[in-house]
Amino acid sequence: MEVEVIKGLKFHKKQDVAIVGAGMTAFKRRMLETGKELSYYAVKQALEEAGLDIKDVEMVVLGSAPDAFDGISLKEEYLLEGAGGCDRPYMRYFVGGGTAVFAPIAGYWHVASGLADVCLVVCEEKMSCCQPHPQSAFKYIWDPILDRPLKPNLIWIFALEMRRYMHVNNVKHEDIALVSVKNKANALDHPCSHVAGKITVEDVLNSEPMALPVRRLDVSPPSDGAAALVMVAPHIARQLTDDPVWVTGVGWNLDTTHWTNRDLYFPRYTAEAARMAYRMAHITDPRKQIDVAEPYDPFDYKELHHMEGLGLAKKGEAPILTKEGVTARDGDLPVCPSGGLLGVGNPISAAMGVKVCEIYWQLAYRAGKRQVAKEVTTGICQAWGDLMQIGTVMVMSNKR
Amino acid sequence: MIDKIVDPEKLRHFPPGGGKIELYWLYTSGKAGNEFFRKLREGKFIAARCKKCGRRYFPPRIFCEFDFSETEFFEISGEGCVEAFTIAKLDLNENPMEEIIALIKLEGTDGRILHLIGEAKDVCIGMKVKPVLKKVDEMTGTISDIKYFKPV
Amino acid sequence: MAVGKKEISCPPSAEGTGLSDADISQKNVTYFEDHPNLAYSWTAGQAMSRFLNELKNGKLIATKCEKCRRVIFPPRIYCELCYKPIDDWVYIKDTGVVQTFSISFIDPDAKPLEKPVIVAVITIDGASPNMGIMHIIDEVEPEKVYIGMRVKAVWRPESERKGTITDIKYWKPLEG
Repeated sequence: MEVEVIKGLKFHKKQDVAIVGAGMTAFKRRMLETGKELSYYAVKQALEEAGLDIKDVEMVVLGSAPDAFDGISLKEEYLLEGAGGCDRPYMRYFVGGGTAVFAPIAGYWHVASGLADVCLVVCEEKMSCCQPHPQSAFKYIWDPILDRPLKPNLIWIFALEMRRYMHVNNVKHEDIALVSVKNKANALDHPCSHVAGKITVEDVLNSEPMALPVRRLDVSPPSDGAAALVMVAPHIARQLTDDPVWVTGVGWNLDTTHWTNRDLYFPRYTAEAARMAYRMAHITDPRKQIDVAEPYDPFDYKELHHMEGLGLAKKGEAPILTKEGVTARDGDLPVCPSGGLLGVGNPISAAMGVKVCEIYWQLAYRAGKRQVAKEVTTGICQAWGDLMQIGTVMVMSNKR
Repeated sequence: MIDKIVDPEKLRHFPPGGGKIELYWLYTSGKAGNEFFRKLREGKFIAARCKKCGRRYFPPRIFCEFDFSETEFFEISGEGCVEAFTIAKLDLNENPMEEIIALIKLEGTDGRILHLIGEAKDVCIGMKVKPVLKKVDEMTGTISDIKYFKPV
Repeated sequence: MAVGKKEISCPPSAEGTGLSDADISQKNVTYFEDHPNLAYSWTAGQAMSRFLNELKNGKLIATKCEKCRRVIFPPRIYCELCYKPIDDWVYIKDTGVVQTFSISFIDPDAKPLEKPVIVAVITIDGASPNMGIMHIIDEVEPEKVYIGMRVKAVWRPESERKGTITDIKYWKPLEG
């Protein structure tokens, strides 16, 4: 850690941040392992890839969604030893689904600020604990006065948002279903996936209705899983690898919780978060400068919605790019080459494994069968959460 | 600026009688826990030793939290000694009850377990205790498969 | 510190043991089921208490910010944009426009509903643009609902009103 002394006071110098290792467990509907054990699997892989030992880790960042899923209050304290947090500074960050990218952003602060040279980021979720259904936990995120007496299901807001998006941009359900088809097929190459498959647009349109327009195959499944990431300072990265991946921009933004007071067709929070990250990463034309993207895709329309928010497509243009194959793995702008949440699974915060970890693997050319066809330099990943109001964005590059 | 409601009758709560959280949870015991409860059915106790530093974990786990190295399970007697105890006089809802709850260090391990003490007139720190298990057909694969610990 | 980078050709390695529903129901693995007995009482606060009390009278009330000139609904005691206390209460109408809607086949626990329910975000007449709430729509075929449809609140009889959001039974189409 570089320290500057000014008038007898010590200041840590801001430093660049590199990612040198990542890991994730399988994503499954329900797993035998406890949350601690899952976190351990993910961390062990990430450290192994980085070539580091747990003793080298200086600080640990934990990301995990509401305690209501795992059914443990103070989940961070419960997960501590599995996340490698014993005997070191350890802190939990949580912004709902947005945690998947927000936890790595917090990891970035730890290293960029100069406080840590090696920071471990761990995200864990064990949604299967929650009964009668993981979705039941969402009953308690609704406003108790205005919404809860109406007996809502969380899918409602997404259905309402999807309808609004389709209406304003004049998009058909079959165009949106293409995203589900693409991501579930991409996920066939992901070893951790539990809902991959070859499906057709008709399969999506004929699947069981949940809250129309949302049908079963428009939705990602709740999952158990964990993911981990190792973030280091430049002088450590140099010792470990010739080709680290650099974090070049981070951004986050929240819109009002009164979601019925927003026009839902456009994710303003994502656009603002992206603007913050782009300014930092010196990106002026995202469509041209970004080579590969992992926007948050818990629902098929959400990938399109978020692409537009990120400026990767103009308003209403994302379905056209999808239809033309631009977003396919061999396209000009591969989107969700991992298979995303729709294909691999959706363990809320542990979705970091298919967002941040995937972009790292893509930019490090370590994604194996999932590696995109084009040459890649810059990638972006994004997540979304709280009461569908936060955008969290990270831009990465394999050039410093 | 608007007037504030000061009459408590007019300040509202939802729902009027209080709202119950209708969730419940199903916790898997995990890789190590599953093995532990399976062995308990056979009347055996296991702990886990870190392959690197030799720390002996009880309850057993699959990894060492300090070196992140793997562990191996080994059998222990299940006997231990009381390190601390409390005599609980009230239950969760503050109804009278009497139970001795002790922190018991298991012999041959570096780990401790929280459990009840039974069949004891008196309890003291350092007292040696051994587990009393439920009958096999009454076991459910949870920590209450151990009924309590009793003085040796 | 570095122990040398190992070559892992194609991460990740997908560890973890999946369980099926049968593994749980047939007790192939051990687990603990906990049914906690928790209850909460959520306070409505200043703005919502007034709003709920007005529902008993069959009226919808909003608040007004003189600075940004917005009529804010659902009401709050502050304007979150100007970040100042709001200036006044205003009654708004019990009619509105469907902003977006969905037809739900599932209940909060993701179990199938006997009869699908139509849910919508409705912006209320008399409040500023986009000032809406989520509520239920009925007395109309699901296929006939559209974005931009005008709707009117259907209130419970005064004697049945309890001062909750369900004092409005549902909203029904205004025309026809």
